[in-house]
Amino acid sequence: MVTKTNSQIQRPKKAWRGIAKTALLLLAGMLWQLVAMAQCILSIAGTVTDEDTKQPLSAATITIIETGEKGVTDAEGRFLLKGICPGNYTVKVTHNQCRPVQMHVHVQKDVQLSFVMPHTVNELQEVTVVAAANTKSGAIGAELKGKEMDATRGQSLAEALQRLSGVTMLQTGTNIAKPVIHGLHSNRVLMLNNGIRQEGQQWGSEHAPEIDPFIANRLTVIKGASTLRYGADAIGGVVLVEPKLLRYQPGIGGEISTGFFSNNRQAFMSGMIEGNAKKHPAFSWRVQGTFKRGGNARTPNYWLANSGMQEMNFSTAAGWKKPNKGLELFYSQFNTKLGIFSGAHIGNVTDLMNIINNGQPPAYVTDAPFTYNIDRPNQQIQHHLAKAKAFVKTGTNSRLNAIVSYQYNWRREYDIKRFSSSSNAPQLDISLQTVGADVVWDHYAGKQIRGSVGVQSSYQLNSYSQRFFIPNYQAINAGVFAIEKYSHKQFAAELGVRYDVRSIFDINRNNGRTYYDRNYGSLSANGGASYHLNDWLTAAINLSTAWRAPQVNELYSDGLHHGSARIEKGNPNLNPERANSVMLSLNVQRKNWQAEVVWYHKQINDFIFLRPTFPPQLTIRGAFPTFLYDQTNARISGVDFSSQYAFNSHIAWQLKASFVRAFDKKANDWIIQMPADRFENALTYQFADGKRWKDPFIKLQWQWVLEQTRVPATGDIEVTLPNGSKQMASDYAAPPAAYHLLGMEAGITQTIGKKPVKWLLTGSNLLNTVYRDYMNAFRYYADEMGINIAFKVQVPIGK
Amino acid sequence: MKKYQKMLLGLVVVASIATGCKKNKEELNEEELITTVQLKFTETGTTNVSTFTFRDIDGDGGNAPTAFDNIVLAPGKTYDMAIELKDESKTPAVDITDEVKEEGDEHQFYFVVSAANVTISNLNNDANGLPLGTTARWVTGDASTGTVKVVLKHKPGGIKAAGDPITKGETDIELNFNIRVQ
Repeated sequence: MVTKTNSQIQRPKKAWRGIAKTALLLLAGMLWQLVAMAQCILSIAGTVTDEDTKQPLSAATITIIETGEKGVTDAEGRFLLKGICPGNYTVKVTHNQCRPVQMHVHVQKDVQLSFVMPHTVNELQEVTVVAAANTKSGAIGAELKGKEMDATRGQSLAEALQRLSGVTMLQTGTNIAKPVIHGLHSNRVLMLNNGIRQEGQQWGSEHAPEIDPFIANRLTVIKGASTLRYGADAIGGVVLVEPKLLRYQPGIGGEISTGFFSNNRQAFMSGMIEGNAKKHPAFSWRVQGTFKRGGNARTPNYWLANSGMQEMNFSTAAGWKKPNKGLELFYSQFNTKLGIFSGAHIGNVTDLMNIINNGQPPAYVTDAPFTYNIDRPNQQIQHHLAKAKAFVKTGTNSRLNAIVSYQYNWRREYDIKRFSSSSNAPQLDISLQTVGADVVWDHYAGKQIRGSVGVQSSYQLNSYSQRFFIPNYQAINAGVFAIEKYSHKQFAAELGVRYDVRSIFDINRNNGRTYYDRNYGSLSANGGASYHLNDWLTAAINLSTAWRAPQVNELYSDGLHHGSARIEKGNPNLNPERANSVMLSLNVQRKNWQAEVVWYHKQINDFIFLRPTFPPQLTIRGAFPTFLYDQTNARISGVDFSSQYAFNSHIAWQLKASFVRAFDKKANDWIIQMPADRFENALTYQFADGKRWKDPFIKLQWQWVLEQTRVPATGDIEVTLPNGSKQMASDYAAPPAAYHLLGMEAGITQTIGKKPVKWLLTGSNLLNTVYRDYMNAFRYYADEMGINIAFKVQVPIGK
Repeated sequence: MKKYQKMLLGLVVVASIATGCKKNKEELNEEELITTVQLKFTETGTTNVSTFTFRDIDGDGGNAPTAFDNIVLAPGKTYDMAIELKDESKTPAVDITDEVKEEGDEHQFYFVVSAANVTISNLNNDANGLPLGTTARWVTGDASTGTVKVVLKHKPGGIKAAGDPITKGETDIELNFNIRVQ
């Protein structure tokens, strides 16, 4: 502009030409700039969090390798790179205490990225984000998230978890399922629901975890007692149900997820909405709810009478977070009503043998039509969880966390009424209340050492009415632990010690009968190390000694289990069980090949199990075998294998396998009720992205479960064979035959109104195969579910 | 979009109110327990009554049954047998026989004799004219020993039909009495 003015004054004649020229240049310049700006005005924003602590990482450097542009995360772990031109970039994140992480990004609009940093100092390596999650320093485990997690929407927690190698399912019919890790379940698997130890009624195999998987965006399984942070009694392993962190960027957003399953005509809908206000950036909130309802499930040949289910859950969370302190409140409620297949309701051993020898449920059971109605027998369970968590930073990299929680678990079981005039009350009514308080200090000592020390405590009150199953009691648990991790270059090590006490007191039956109090206390320890042999191979070892106090059902239960036709009796003289285990893992991370093999070996001394005794006990319904809680020395070992090989950018092959061997060293025989060997193959074809859709894929699955042949040859149960002769056996029926199942998944992400809408079609048991599974308690009574096609949609809302 | 968000929020709120702390006050009633089965025999044409009992006061599991009598009958006689069911875990004891009779269309007694010279017939009927068996006629032959299995089947939901085999339904009672005809 100045030039223009000058030329006007000095050379008025030529001025016009000059002005025009300059203006033209300017215009062109502006235009060029406009065009350029139109292109390079995009941004890449996001967060960097610590994989272990789930806390934001400050001072992480974000580099776009192609342009060299750099950014640094703030105290909240946030970063923002502006002025990015559209294109394909490699974004690299480095932090002085973490292994670097790299991600390929396709930028066409503003991009949000979240990086999770594995916490091991290491030499520069190319590690993909997904792969890095598998190598924690000491603990050995597996994760379910992203696309794999999406495919499990609408299913139960145990069904979702069994996608991970080494995790199987223990079922009671189609509705009740609980996870089994390395052959162990119930009290030996610890479940953490949003950081709180789930205190449901884990003592029965017919008691499924009272957790809505929709609250989580990630499920983690830590195998064995390889971490002591959550408790010593996780001899089988730990399941972490983790919601994503609360929203920190201003705005309101959420997601609706809905779907329909063809087999039991189950519909589900889950919604989540969360927000953060610009005016109060420290404050975030989230509300989430799920509704599910399904009718009778169908085997290839008949409906399973009274196998419907319904579930209604919700949770709310609110967080207030400043750089140095924060507070989070969480409340969730879980409600379910589960129908129990009426063909499994039997009166005595004769009834059971009749059904087993008949091979199928009686006609009046298999003739039942489809219905959504749930009659007796059924279970109704309600679980409340309230939690408050606060933290204060105690230094640049250390913080003190305090958590208080309250849980209320209310379980009612309704049997078939003996007379229609009988009371409508449940036959079993148990409520368990738990108050917990934890204080944990996460800290760093220099660059190489970091760790946590903490105190955990809880108080429990159990009370029952109606039929006796376990007595009323109160319990106090307390534990102190210290875990330190050291990492240097390719090497990382972890050492943890923990001391726990458990006291059970005020144990009584409502009829006034009282029992002796029980007190236990002991030490646990674990040590792990991992070493990156080269840039694609990591080896890890974990050694641990852990213990578990006998639970109230193991000590004092006394009653008849109708569904399994047996009397279970507690044993007040049980000692705690002690598990000494070693685990080795080898992890391969190549460009087109990822694999992990885990070998484990546990010696469990005083392993608590149900031993059938002879002769059976006489009742008005005839004689029932009596199972007494007893102890032995057990040896459980096995291998989990998982691998993924990409032939090219379209075709990938996945293979998972798991093998468990469980041996009773005293009886010199196999241990009953262990998962059979299994293989899972999947072939995925990934199509090219389109203009309006992304990530289209189709996946074919083939599962092969072998027959469980490692069961005790004889036992104390008298079995009547179809020809009328009697035989002593370890189980009422032999393990079912091996089976093959075919499944498929197909999905696509469609952009509708700038939002990615995910469509998913899944199918299980596509060939409508008739089969029974050894780990389903109802294998005596009926076949498993037939073909089941599901259609699911996930729609993001807001921004 | 805003509208949908509000709708969703509303839905969640409604869902939480609907499910929140819905703890119905249910009647706290202990379930019926059949602790005692008595077979009462009256010799026809006389007032001679003999009673044989099975008794397990604390129900399934727990302590062993306190009584499980052998049935002893005279040879060559005819008896009218009546079954009495009781819950003696409560005071006073509750008679459950009437409930079985009232809901006779969902219950049925079976008697399976082995080895002994006894013929059981004339079972009483339920309201639909199907056998119920709370009463029956027992005819003894020559002196012998053996067993009589007394089975009560529960057949809810209208599944009871003519000619039902013993395998149908859910077993409420299954007692294998020793019997001596002497």
